[in-house]
Amino acid sequence: MSQPTPDVYEQGKGMDAHNKVMREIRSRKERSYDPHEPTRVWLDEDNTPDGVKRSLTIILNTGGCRWARAGGCTMCGYVAESVEGGSVSHEALLDQIDVCLEHEAENADEPAPLIKIYTSGSFLDEREVGAVTRDAIAETFADRERMVVESLPDFVDREKLADFTDRGLETDVAIGLETATDRVRHDCVNKYFDFADFEDACEEARAAGAGVKAYLLMKPPFLTESEAVADMISSIERCADVDGCHTISMNPTNVQRYTMVDELYFSDGYRPPWLWSVAHVLRETADVDAIVVSDPVGHGSDRGPHNCKECDDLVQKAIKDFDLRQDPTVFEQVSCDCEATWEAVLEHERGYNQPLTR
Amino acid sequence: MTDYFEVHERDGAARLGELRLSSPRTTPALVDDVVEDAGSLWSADRELPEGDDAHLTVLPHRAFPGGTAPEVQESFAVDNPDVDYPSAAVVSSEYVSDQGTDAYVLSDVQSVVGHGAALVEAVVNVREAVPEDTALYLSGVATPRNVATLAYAGVDLFDASRATVKGTQGKYLTSEGEYFLEDLEELPCSCPACRTPREEFTREDCVEHNRNALEAELAVVRRRIRDGRLRDYLEGQARHDQWLTAAMRELDSQWEYLEERTPILRDAEISAATEDTLRRVEIQRYADRVTTRYQNRFSAPLVLVPCSARKPYSESQSHRQFHDAIQWRAHLVSMTSPIGVVPQELETTYPAQHYDTVVTGRWSEDEKQFVSEVLRRYLERNDYPEIVAHVPDEGYRDIVSRVEDELDLEVTYTVADHPTDDESLANLGDALAGRPAYRKREREHNTVRAIADYLLGDGAGDDLFEDITTTSRYPRIQVRDAEETQLATMVPQYGTLSFTLEGARRWVDSDAPTKRVEIDGFVPHGSVLAPGVVDADEDIRVGDEVVVEGPKAFGVGRAEMFGREMVESTRGIACEIRHVEEK
Repeated sequence: MSQPTPDVYEQGKGMDAHNKVMREIRSRKERSYDPHEPTRVWLDEDNTPDGVKRSLTIILNTGGCRWARAGGCTMCGYVAESVEGGSVSHEALLDQIDVCLEHEAENADEPAPLIKIYTSGSFLDEREVGAVTRDAIAETFADRERMVVESLPDFVDREKLADFTDRGLETDVAIGLETATDRVRHDCVNKYFDFADFEDACEEARAAGAGVKAYLLMKPPFLTESEAVADMISSIERCADVDGCHTISMNPTNVQRYTMVDELYFSDGYRPPWLWSVAHVLRETADVDAIVVSDPVGHGSDRGPHNCKECDDLVQKAIKDFDLRQDPTVFEQVSCDCEATWEAVLEHERGYNQPLTR
Repeated sequence: MTDYFEVHERDGAARLGELRLSSPRTTPALVDDVVEDAGSLWSADRELPEGDDAHLTVLPHRAFPGGTAPEVQESFAVDNPDVDYPSAAVVSSEYVSDQGTDAYVLSDVQSVVGHGAALVEAVVNVREAVPEDTALYLSGVATPRNVATLAYAGVDLFDASRATVKGTQGKYLTSEGEYFLEDLEELPCSCPACRTPREEFTREDCVEHNRNALEAELAVVRRRIRDGRLRDYLEGQARHDQWLTAAMRELDSQWEYLEERTPILRDAEISAATEDTLRRVEIQRYADRVTTRYQNRFSAPLVLVPCSARKPYSESQSHRQFHDAIQWRAHLVSMTSPIGVVPQELETTYPAQHYDTVVTGRWSEDEKQFVSEVLRRYLERNDYPEIVAHVPDEGYRDIVSRVEDELDLEVTYTVADHPTDDESLANLGDALAGRPAYRKREREHNTVRAIADYLLGDGAGDDLFEDITTTSRYPRIQVRDAEETQLATMVPQYGTLSFTLEGARRWVDSDAPTKRVEIDGFVPHGSVLAPGVVDADEDIRVGDEVVVEGPKAFGVGRAEMFGREMVESTRGIACEIRHVEEK
C-alpha cells in the first residue's frame, strides 16, 4: 500500500508550489508606495493584561515581508504594500513615525498609553528595521506604558526586546502564529515555522521580561468551516498553555487581493468564515488562561467574515464587546434564523463540497 | 477493480446503477446515509480507515476547490490506498486519473455547478479518465431542479446537503424552481412535510420538504432512465433554469462522449417537441448514417412524400394511398422533422418509427434547414432518373425547392391541394406512367441490404448480401444463402438484423466492418460478463449486433455495453448471446 499521507511539507514540494503560485499572483500587482508615509495608522481601544487601554496602532511600511518575497502566506495581501527598491531608510521610517504622532495629536486629547507597531513583516528583523531605528523608535515612545511589536518567531531576541523593556515599557511581541497545528500552518497558510519555534519565542520574550500576543487565523484556504472552528479552539487552548503568551487575537480570514485565497474565492472555491464561528470559538474558549480577542475585518461583506447580512453588525458588535469584557454572555444577546444554516454547514460541509454556501 | 458498483442500464450518458453495499442502492440516488468520510488531509494526518461493506468510504483526501493552481494540485496530490471495501477517491476535474476505486468525488464541484459549459467539461473530463463502471459523486450541489440534468450528464451519486442548507434559509425547492417560503401562500406540494398547515410550516419542515422533493425527483430520473426517456423529460424540465438548458446543449456538442454512450435502438419513443430534439444523438446519428452509409439500389424514380403520424409509415392511411398510386414504380422516401429523410427500406429502423412530433404544419427555420441539409446530402449521394415531390406546401415544398435550386435538379411537383386528394394522387400516378414496377424480391433484398449498410457501414449490404434469397413476409424478412441456410432475420421493432451463426461467419469473412468482442477461453451461455471480455471494437454501441469470439467459442449476440466499456468494466453484462458454438 502506498502511503496515504505523504508529508509534502517535509519534502518541501508543497511549499515550493505555494511559493511559486503566490509569487506569480503577487507579481500582477504593480502599485508602489511612498516610503515616507506609514501604510496605515489609527486610534482604538485594546484589552491588555493591565486592562482596556487607548491605543495607537501603526502599520509601518518597512519594505514588506521577506517571506512574502519568496512567495509567502496564501491569504496575505499586505505584501504588495512594499516600496520600490525593497528597503526603507532610517530617515524615512522616522518620517513615518512622525506622521503617526501627528495623526495622534490631531485626533486624540492625550497620548495613547498603548503603542502597537506592525510591519506586515517583522519589526525585529534588522533587515527591515535596523538596530538604530529600533532604538530611536523605542526612545520616541519611552513615555508610554506598553508597546506591541510584530515579529516572526525567528527574530525574537532578548537583546532586541531590551530596547523597550530597559526603558520601562511593558512589551509584547505580536507573533502571527496563525494556528497551533503545524500541518495547517505549513500546508494551508504556507508559513514556514513550527509551533515549537513559537514556544521558543515565548520563552525568549519571557527571558526579556516581555510577553507574547499570538495572532491566529480562522479558516485558511482548504479547510471546511467545522475544521476551521476545531483548529481555532485547539489552537487557542494550546497557545494559552504556553508561558508568556498572555493574549490571543483570533482573526477570521478576509479575502485580500493578489492572494491565493482570492484566486479560490474568484472561482467559487472559498468562502470566508461565518461570524457565528468566531462567536462560537470565543465562547468555547472563554475560560482559558489568556485574554482572547478577535477583530474581524470587513465583516458583513462577501470578502469578509459574514453571516446572512441581516445579523452581521449585531454579531460583530457582540464580538467587539467580548474583546473588551471577556464575558461570553454577550453572545446570548444575539440570535438569527441563519444560525440554523451555519449549523447545517458545520454538519454537512466537506473538503469535497466546500464552500457549501456563499 | 470496481467491485461495488455496477451499471445495469444506460440512457445516453445517464446510467441506472447499483451501489453494491451490504444493503444495495439503485442509483442515481442520495447517498448521505451510506457515505463515510475518512477526512481531509489538509487539517490532519489520517489513519487508513477500517471501512466496511455497509458504507462507501471516501478515502483520506486533499480536496482542491475550484481555483486551486495546477502546481499546488500537483505537489499536494494524494496517493489513494488500495482497499478491499467500497471506496471513493476525491479528484479534481482538471487532474484526474484511474485510482482503482469504486467511486470518484469531484472536489471543485461548487465551481462547475451553475455553469453549463464548466459542468459538462468537468463531468466529461472525469468520466473519460475513469473506468465506466465506477460511480461519480457530486456532493453538496443537488437540488430537485438540477438533479435530472446532473444525472443526464453522467453523475450517479448525490446528497441532500445543498437542499438541507437551502431549507434552513427558508428556500422552498421544487423541480421547477426555488421559492422564498414567506412568499408562498400555499405549498405547491403534498409530501408528508407539506401536509403541515401553511401557518405552522417552519424552516425545519422546509428542510424536510426539500429532501422529499429531491428524493422524488431522483425517482423520476431513475424511472426515465429505465424507460430510455430521460432526454425527453429534460428537454422540458431543464427549461426551468437557463444554466441547465445550457448544460444540455453543451453536452450535445460533446458528440464523442454522448454518441459513444447512446444506444442504437430503444423501445421508447422520442418525443420531438422542442428545437433541441434536432441535436439529439439519435437524430444526428440517423441523419449521418442515412447520408453516408445508406445507398439506394433501385433504378426507379424517387418519390418524396410527407411523413405520417402512424409508424411505420407504410401502415398509415396516407401512405397506403400513395402506394396505390405508385404501385412499386418508384422509390419512396419520406420527409420528416426531426428525422430528415427516411427511405422506404429504413422505415422501421430506429428512430424512424420511434418518434412523435408536434403537428401544427408550421415549420421552424431550424427544422427546414436541418431537413433540407439532410435531403441535399442524400441526393448528392444517390442518383435517380427522375424526382417527383409529392409534398404539400407547408414547409415540405419549401425544402424541396431549396435543394432543387442548390443541386440544380429538376423536380416534378404533383400535389395540387393536399397530397391525398384525388387530383394529387392522379398526378402522382401520371408522373410515373410507363415506368415498370420492381419486384418483391428486389424490394426485400434491397431492404435487408439497406439495413446492413445502415447498421454496419457503407457498402456492407453488398459485401454481406451479394447472393441471397429471402423468405417470410416483410417486415420479418429472413435472409438465406444460395443453399437456403438462414443467415439473418430482420427485426421489425427496430429495423435491425439479427444474425445466425452462419450469418455471423459470413459477416466475419466479408469486407463489411465487423463489430467483434474477443473473450477468454470459455463458452458463454446467455450472457457475456465484462470480466470475460479481452477486447472489443471501439465502435460497438449498446444494441449493436456483435460477433463474440474466443479460443473456445464462436457466437453472435447483442451488445449491452459500448465497446470501450466492455473492456474497462470489471462488472456487468457486456453482451447477450443469441447463438454460440464450441470450437
